[in-house]
Amino acid sequence: MASALRRILGWLFRAVPVVLALAVWEGIARSGTVNPRLFPHLAAIAEQLVFLASSHQLGLHLGASMTRVVVGFGAAVLVGVPLGIVMSRVALFGRVVEPVFSFGYPVPRIALYPIAVFLFGIGHLSKVVLVALECLYPIAIHTYYGVRGVNRLYIWSAQNMGASRAQVVLKVMAPAAAPHVFSGFRIALPIAFIITVLTEMVSSTEGLGWLILYSSASLMQARVFAAVVIVAVIGFVMDRLLAVLRNRLIFWEKEAVLVAIR
Amino acid sequence: MPLVEVDHLSKVFVRGERRVTALHDLSLRVDVGEFVTVVGPSGCGKSTFLHILGGFIPPTEGSMRIAGREVTGPGPDRGVMFQELALFPWRTVLGNVTWGLEAQGRPKAERVAIAERHLDLVGLLAFKDAYPAELSGGMKQRVALARVLTFDPAVLLMDEPFGALDAQTRELMQEELQRIWVKTGKTVLFVTHDVEEAVYLGDRVVVFSARPGHIKAEVPVRSPRPRSLEVKKSQAFHDSRNQVWDSLREEVLKFRQEAGTTHGAADD
Amino acid sequence: MTREGAAVLAGLMALWQVLASAGVLPGYLVSPAVIAREFGALARSGELFQHSAVSLYRSLAGLALGAGLGVGLGLLAGVSRRVGGFFEPLVSLTYPVPKVAFLPVLLVWFGISDTSKILLIALSCFYPSYIAAMYGVRAVDPLWIWAAQNMGARPRRVFLGVVVPAASVHIFGGLRVSLALAFILMLASELIGSSDRLGLGFLIITADAGGRFDMMFASILAIAILGFGADRLLLWVRRRLLAGYVVMEDSAHG
Repeated sequence: MASALRRILGWLFRAVPVVLALAVWEGIARSGTVNPRLFPHLAAIAEQLVFLASSHQLGLHLGASMTRVVVGFGAAVLVGVPLGIVMSRVALFGRVVEPVFSFGYPVPRIALYPIAVFLFGIGHLSKVVLVALECLYPIAIHTYYGVRGVNRLYIWSAQNMGASRAQVVLKVMAPAAAPHVFSGFRIALPIAFIITVLTEMVSSTEGLGWLILYSSASLMQARVFAAVVIVAVIGFVMDRLLAVLRNRLIFWEKEAVLVAIR
Repeated sequence: MPLVEVDHLSKVFVRGERRVTALHDLSLRVDVGEFVTVVGPSGCGKSTFLHILGGFIPPTEGSMRIAGREVTGPGPDRGVMFQELALFPWRTVLGNVTWGLEAQGRPKAERVAIAERHLDLVGLLAFKDAYPAELSGGMKQRVALARVLTFDPAVLLMDEPFGALDAQTRELMQEELQRIWVKTGKTVLFVTHDVEEAVYLGDRVVVFSARPGHIKAEVPVRSPRPRSLEVKKSQAFHDSRNQVWDSLREEVLKFRQEAGTTHGAADD
Repeated sequence: MTREGAAVLAGLMALWQVLASAGVLPGYLVSPAVIAREFGALARSGELFQHSAVSLYRSLAGLALGAGLGVGLGLLAGVSRRVGGFFEPLVSLTYPVPKVAFLPVLLVWFGISDTSKILLIALSCFYPSYIAAMYGVRAVDPLWIWAAQNMGARPRRVFLGVVVPAASVHIFGGLRVSLALAFILMLASELIGSSDRLGLGFLIITADAGGRFDMMFASILAIAILGFGADRLLLWVRRRLLAGYVVMEDSAHG
């Protein structure tokens, strides 16, 4: 009983800074020091949220954005994981492909978006291509390090027990490399979302990023914030889902929190 | 015919410019049912020797035969126990012990039965559904032992399996191992740096020289089996121990001298 | 950059040039020679410098603000459980949010000026640095602190002489991510809000509008050089500051 109470109190304490931030917001909005059109009340924002949700707009934009995130991320996984594996297993290949990563990493791939739009139009494809390109990096790199880092004693033990090459790869290297590979996913998914929103803001006809930009251009500030809230919630939920998924799939290792920032 | 035959084994590691001769002209015979322990100074190549016997590293020269057949790679005819970290953390204890049989395609009921029998032998049947992370060091090594016994190899190769354990657990594990060995009658090649452990466990103690490693001496241990830990208090034990240590100490001093001038030992 | 990699890269460049010269490639894949020529032209006219300077200024200003605040606050949060605990829900709630979503808001509040872009960049750069600094501090081996205290060091000395150096590996990792983000957000803000007609992003948009692929690739090249150069500079600084401490860090590592 006491421990449950303590848990609830813990939750309340953690909510304090958030509530505080919201209170500060509302205070500024109501104080009259700023133009209410620029700084909407929380109520106005909530009203817009309801509007978006009840009209089919939310579904439309959310659906478009999520499609791009999922397809782009999926493509990056399908290409990046095998790429990382081959890079670590075939030394020559790794050396040949390496400059793509060391040279390409600090260069914003987003610069290629206009070309992608030129080639693939302003619909899904150009965005998916860019999302996949961006997500490829963390996924391939983490897969590479994950496979490379598999302790050779695991492999030797498996060989000792008479496992075939395929069995060693599937039943030893895969689980042993999984934590690292998954942290690559954990980094790539938010990136997929960021790039999606970003590209939708640069040029698109629908999507959450477009919604933000269009509402802003139409001077509907409250709706802008409502869209931002939606984006924030989606981003947060995706992150939590991945954390839960990780704990279920990779149950034998505690997560290194620092992973999230790389 | 001896079960394990090693003839003129040599291993040279080439690291860039440096050539390190880990083993040189090493020959050894182990008969069926023998428990042979190997001691040597750090860096003498005794682990390398075991890794080569296990088939994980190729020798530079020489040959090895198990039951008359040439060793060409790793395989379940030689069960290897490492010092640590060989249990798969994503499988339960039972999952680890059945892994070898699973790889060989045995049906599930059979796998579980054999595995449970061996888990019982090492006294860990109650923990079959636990994960390695939940076990202590000594327990993990017992599971590793059960795993290695389960696929029924002809010979057991043990690479300092108790090295990572605390002294008290180590003593108990030594007695355990001895008891299990008497029951199963396996042929064992056991590498250690602990002289007492070598004398306690072995029928024969093989002393490795400093690098380049070869066999310097072989000291037979004649204490009768089964040996309880009490044996360690006997005079005969002390005599054997001293004999081994005297032979070994020379090599250790030689190694220390060498360590001042070179660095970066190959696989110990 | 490995030897084989550089060779393959050079080979691809050469192939590209040959194919472009032969007229085999589609119009938008202008040859490296054409790109180089346009790059030179932009450089000579001073445009390249002008736009690069603006973009660089925005990136670095945002980085300094965001990462500076992030590291400072992160160190504090690492040292003081209370501060860390206070900020934790805010950070973990807002961290997964794409900060670029705030750009229109910033544009409305601060106008189409450098300020809004710099603020956006700062906002993004804050997080990796904050998180890295905080965890860097928390990860310091307590034995080191005990050893320092044992030798009579006061809290400030312990902090400056043990905690900060020990955490610096993590901090540089965070800074590296922040730097990459700075360039990405700079470009993003210029692509979206390019109406102030300055910056490499603006150059790309202009080139795109005019179908000038040579100019577009030249701008991308400029961005690549800036981004790559800044990253290498950071790595050099790290190498100098952390001489023997850092175990070999692969350049390919994110």
